[in-house]
Amino acid sequence: MENLLTSPSLIQRAYWLIRLRWVAIATLVAATFVSHELMKVSLNASALYAFSIVLIVYNFVLYDLLRYWTWADKQPSPRRITEIVTFQISADLLILATIIHFSGGIENPFAFFFVFHMIIASILCSKRQSYLQATLAAFLFGGLAILEGGGVLPHHGLIGFAGHELYRNGTFIFGFLLVFTVTLYLVVYMTTSISEQLRLQQESLEKANTQLEEKDHVKNEYVLRVTHDIKGHLAAVQSCLDVVLNEMVGPLNEKQKDMVGRAHHRTTKCMEFVTALLKLTRMKLTGQLEREQFSLRKTLLGALALVQNRAQSKSITLHHHIDPAIDLIDGEAVLIEETVTNMLLNAVKYTPAGGSVGLEVKRDGTFVQVKITDTGIGVPPADLTRIFEEFYRADNARAAERDGTGLGLAFAKQVVERHGGQIWAENNPTGGSTFIFTLPAAKATAGGS
Amino acid sequence: MGQGSILIIDDDPDITEAMTVILANRGYEVRSARDGSEGMERLKEARPDLIILDVMMRTSQEGFELSRELKHNKKYKDIPILMLTGVKQKTGLDFKADAGDESWLPVEEYLDKPVRPDILLAKVEDLLQKP
Repeated sequence: MENLLTSPSLIQRAYWLIRLRWVAIATLVAATFVSHELMKVSLNASALYAFSIVLIVYNFVLYDLLRYWTWADKQPSPRRITEIVTFQISADLLILATIIHFSGGIENPFAFFFVFHMIIASILCSKRQSYLQATLAAFLFGGLAILEGGGVLPHHGLIGFAGHELYRNGTFIFGFLLVFTVTLYLVVYMTTSISEQLRLQQESLEKANTQLEEKDHVKNEYVLRVTHDIKGHLAAVQSCLDVVLNEMVGPLNEKQKDMVGRAHHRTTKCMEFVTALLKLTRMKLTGQLEREQFSLRKTLLGALALVQNRAQSKSITLHHHIDPAIDLIDGEAVLIEETVTNMLLNAVKYTPAGGSVGLEVKRDGTFVQVKITDTGIGVPPADLTRIFEEFYRADNARAAERDGTGLGLAFAKQVVERHGGQIWAENNPTGGSTFIFTLPAAKATAGGS
Repeated sequence: MGQGSILIIDDDPDITEAMTVILANRGYEVRSARDGSEGMERLKEARPDLIILDVMMRTSQEGFELSRELKHNKKYKDIPILMLTGVKQKTGLDFKADAGDESWLPVEEYLDKPVRPDILLAKVEDLLQKP
């Protein structure tokens, strides 16, 4: 791809050219009106007004064509887009030459506007194409000046503005055209050099980005491999400790039982960590959701049921309110249930006995918002975004519960983002914190509320 | 006390030993094999009432392959299999590659490693009681 810009932005540029043209047409009408009516310059105003109308029609047609080609996110081929842009620029050169012909020819300072077209071409088109456009412009304007000067084409002078004999002065025509042509080529040369540099930079950035992604992938595979091996050993350690702790190979005295119990507890914690890391890494590596329509309501009620016992044992009230209009959504039910369960367990874990944990679900535009509120220890303001990073744990959370993996919220973030939603945390003004995530509402329920 | 003979096929000698102790304590007769081919030899020596099979042995698929082989074998297809996985059903492993085939995981039950002794015993008892 020789272009500076990629296809989607080239389409936007094609639309941009159309918008610019509306401004140009308005300027043409205004300039004609001001010079003719106010400055009393003698010019062929009716021809220019008529031409403005032609231009308005042309621009509408072009707009419709472009809309037709890009209808419903259709993506025309890069070749087609380049053709559209090239055609527009060439047509604009012709239009500008025509306007200048009707308004003084070589005597009209609007001839400088050709420079704009050169800049636009140099940014949007290839180098070769830009030089071709410069040649076309020099050819059109030069031909116009020479034909008018030679009397082949009529000259519509700007009487009252410029010395209207200049258009017949051979030396002036020669000098003007020489400088004009050099200017056009120089502008194309300078602009294409800069755009080319930008394009190279963009390319190297893209390459660096791809390399980073590849490295990240390799890292994740490495973590997966190592974690998996560690998990195998841990499983064996735990199985053997289980046998001893359950006194299947003979009775233990109190101290032995205590020590083996501690070892068993720590392997369990280690296992939880390794399992969480495996799950998160797998998610990052494959990242494919097994999407289906499922009942968010049932899933959430399931999660609440799983947490009920834990909440009760800490005398924490669990309350919920789910908007009755919300039910089916698109996604992977198992992952959502696990995420909500984890978030509810977190809320229960960091809320002192006697507090309350709430689950609220409501519609938020095209999203469904799930809100988990607690009356717990809250999150230090500086940590509100950091707690979603892998392994990061807020100080107060670490103090309250020493053994946490620091991976739960990172996993929740992965799950929510894979579903196309967002997750964040807030502190409540009255104490405690609120964790919120959104999920795109399924189209089927869009009319539901 | 439990009754019946169990064949454990797992390449991890420590987990095999732990399971052997747990099951033998309950009164089951336990034999073990370290891989698929040794497993087949043990099967030929004596028919067990239950097979406990590890998914990932030498290759990540060996357990699967063996289970498929057994379930397509007239002699052995009625022996219940308890599959052990280091990872749950939903894993990064592409288990679903041949999900179109109904026999893709033709085992009676599966458990995630590490298996807690009480859960292992409950499942074994359950599988052995089935007709």
